[in-house]
Amino acid sequence: MAQLRVERYGYTLRKSLADAGLEVDEGTLYPLLRRLENQGLLVSEWREENKRNKRFYRLSPDGEAILGQLLDEWQGINSSISKIVQGE
Amino acid sequence: MELLDRYLNAVRFWLPPAQQDDIIAELGDDIRTQIEEREATLGRTLDDDDVAVILKQRGHPMLMATRYLPQQSLIGPVLYPVYVMVLRIVLLWVMVPVFVLIVGPIVIATAANPTVGAIQTVWNLAMADVFSLGVITLVFAILERRPLKELANWDPRKLPTVTLMKALPDVRQPIPRATAIAELIFGIICTGVCLQAAWYLGGFNLDVVHIVLAPVWRLVYPLVLLYCVAGIPLGWVGLVWPARIRLRSVIRLAINAIGLIVIGVLAQAGILLTLTSSELSTASLADATHWTSLGVHIFLGAAAIVTFMDMAQEIRRCLTVRW
Repeated sequence: MAQLRVERYGYTLRKSLADAGLEVDEGTLYPLLRRLENQGLLVSEWREENKRNKRFYRLSPDGEAILGQLLDEWQGINSSISKIVQGE
Repeated sequence: MELLDRYLNAVRFWLPPAQQDDIIAELGDDIRTQIEEREATLGRTLDDDDVAVILKQRGHPMLMATRYLPQQSLIGPVLYPVYVMVLRIVLLWVMVPVFVLIVGPIVIATAANPTVGAIQTVWNLAMADVFSLGVITLVFAILERRPLKELANWDPRKLPTVTLMKALPDVRQPIPRATAIAELIFGIICTGVCLQAAWYLGGFNLDVVHIVLAPVWRLVYPLVLLYCVAGIPLGWVGLVWPARIRLRSVIRLAINAIGLIVIGVLAQAGILLTLTSSELSTASLADATHWTSLGVHIFLGAAAIVTFMDMAQEIRRCLTVRW
């Protein structure tokens, strides 16, 4: 979701995730994008690029809000796990 | 790109019509982009073998399509163990004894060739099992889509007390939820079957034989129906009040008592059915009647033993459970 603060289409999103060290299978990524869109967290638009129609995704305002909450939650969990691991 | 088009067409087949064009357009673009990128890396056009490798990595068209579909199941993980239990009881412990002890003797004794009769019995058993499987699956599929209100509106204060649960080994354990659901569903199915059986009290045909049930069946029918219907409150009590072991035991004892009365009346009656046929000799009919009566009486004897054992267990449970 954080990668979709900037508009991307599926293939470039997958590439950018892979470059960041997170390999996502396309069979997982596209259905996930659709689910997020059905939940109103993403918006998509078909547009022509390089003489071919592509579906571009970006975060919706609701998606921005949820992403903020998820990041807070993740940071909380991360902090707790760090404390637990360091405590050992 | 012929291979790619064939792949996309195969994926399209498994997709819901409303989403086919959208998903195929996006998937097609993604694969084409991957192919172009690969061509740029290799500095040549990909041949069919290269494209086949890429498509194989994507997965079988059906698997690819199912990833876009919502996860669905006819019977979910909560009800599945109960479903298997009910199937085992009906298919193994009800159908097999009925066909081996009652239907089989009639068919085999009246068939021109006993081997053919035996094969026909096995075939009839298989068909009855398939039908039962369908009905039971349908009932569970409906239940799966209509979750019990109690599961949503449960009250933690109604859960069994810890002291009761800890103090009660073996027979005094609260009723497992799976057992309660199985009893409830079994009660519903048995009631349905029993109501349908009312149409056959006057007699029915089995192959070339017309079977006339003795009047005693009309006498015990209301009790048999009561026996079946009572399974519904039995399951309900176990489901809603799993810790009320004594109440459940009392209901079970009452049901068993009804069962014993039915068994006793039938056992006393002697002749439970008569067979007639315009195509069979009197000797064949006498043989069939003998074996069928024997089968029914063995069935009643086995049922009586099981009922007595269950009653003993319930009485023990009643005596040992603490209030």
